[in-house]
Amino acid sequence: MGAVRLHDVTLGYERHPAVHHLEGAFEAGITAVVGPNGSGKSTLLKGMAGVLPPLSGRIELDGLARPDIAYLPQDHGIDRHFPITVEDLVALGLMGRRGLFGGVGPADRARVHEALSAVGMEGFEGRAIGSISGGQLQRALFARVLVQDARLILLDEPFSAIDARTTADLIALVRRWPGEGRTVVMVLHDLDLVRSACPQALLLAREAVAWGPTDEALTPERLLRARRLSEAWNDQAPVCHAHSPGAAS
Amino acid sequence: MTEAFSLSDAGFRSAAAGALALAFGGAPLGVLLIARRMSLVGDALSHGILPGAAIAYLLFGRDPAALTIGALLAGLVLAAASSLLARTGRLPEDASFAVFYLSALALGVLLMGRQQNLEVLHEMLFGAAGAMGRDAVVLSAVAATATLVAMALFIRGFLAESADPVFTRSVGVQARALHLLLMMLVALNLVAGFRAFGALMTVGLMMIPAAAARFWAKGYGGQAAIAVLISATASLAGLLVAAWKGIEPGAAMTLSAASLFALSGIFGRVGGLVQNLPGRAHLEA
Repeated sequence: MGAVRLHDVTLGYERHPAVHHLEGAFEAGITAVVGPNGSGKSTLLKGMAGVLPPLSGRIELDGLARPDIAYLPQDHGIDRHFPITVEDLVALGLMGRRGLFGGVGPADRARVHEALSAVGMEGFEGRAIGSISGGQLQRALFARVLVQDARLILLDEPFSAIDARTTADLIALVRRWPGEGRTVVMVLHDLDLVRSACPQALLLAREAVAWGPTDEALTPERLLRARRLSEAWNDQAPVCHAHSPGAAS
Repeated sequence: MTEAFSLSDAGFRSAAAGALALAFGGAPLGVLLIARRMSLVGDALSHGILPGAAIAYLLFGRDPAALTIGALLAGLVLAAASSLLARTGRLPEDASFAVFYLSALALGVLLMGRQQNLEVLHEMLFGAAGAMGRDAVVLSAVAATATLVAMALFIRGFLAESADPVFTRSVGVQARALHLLLMMLVALNLVAGFRAFGALMTVGLMMIPAAAARFWAKGYGGQAAIAVLISATASLAGLLVAAWKGIEPGAAMTLSAASLFALSGIFGRVGGLVQNLPGRAHLEA
């Protein structure tokens, strides 16, 4: 697939921008989205996933439809008490392509089991989602991403609150995706992980501070600048008349 | 107060047929509502149908068809209005329901109170023995059939939208339309039962068996099947007691369901009291 392009995109809530005037492109491969708390990282992913419409600007998805995009939010909002099994949760990944009426046949079941096996969750198929640990649930959600077979994969802090072994297993999985023609955009806090796993990085602080090869984007000076810029919500803020600043670098 | 009926009445057979149909329609919906932590939405909807029934009563008297259509329209309007208000994101859905159902209840009381018809209002809330005529049995069957067909077609969507709404929206499924459909099915089942068993008692037969089923099964399918069984058992037992003792059937049916809930809470395989008695040896894994 080609690049996912942002054209002067502003995203936010109740007219307050969480991140504004983004201009640039996510190339094929893995891009990390980095920045302090409140810098707009999660909001950007929501916008790309189509669950939050932009306040202004345009997100060009290069012909991708909703089923071509897999989105794993940080706050997934899954009700752990809901009476469904791990297998059924993973099988929901088929819904994007099959639609509401699509059934789940033996081949689909096999695909779900294969995905669970790939994330080290074989044998958990019949377990209720309320009876597994947080790390196991995250593995199951990665299995659902596998079942979705998406070309653009958006992961929001996918390794927070899970142990080192689970992180290592899932990172190994993510590293394989670019070779399968998938583009991955991943919000991460661990800069060592970003430098080791992500060739490209977008540094956010409610605007793009830097966007490009990770070593060039994440210099100490730019990281310091990003920390100074982030977090601003002003109920009395005037209307923004800024023009697109172009892609920062 | 309403009069109870006897075992030999044709009304008894109609009530039994209607109650069985409502068990098949209402109980699976109740399981879904409990799983979504929306247990009180049925209660809210049951109040919300009152102004529609009240207006129909004032216009057409006790005509069964008019009362049913009035209640159904009010229920559908309430379900749609609450879903639309919740969609703005300014209020959680239960708050939206609270606003509408309390307003609807007040309107219903006002309309009926002005005409000195509080006894009719009482009947609407708690039921009137013998009101389950042939038309009401047919409506119950329609409600049950519509619910089961919708469940068969959309169960994966209902489960997805309930368990993981963000995911469901992200893959482009019309989650809000599904939600509205669910609310409308709840309204349809309530209206089908409200004249015979009362709006509130019909909610009881929808929710209490569903709550009891959580003590017997972990998955949705198992819970729904058990909830239907408990609802049907409670309905028939309640009707028999009502005919035998000459008491209101709606209350007898609901209390039967409550008794089965208590037994489930004590003896249920999934988290029942006996299963978790202090001092019982823990399992290996």
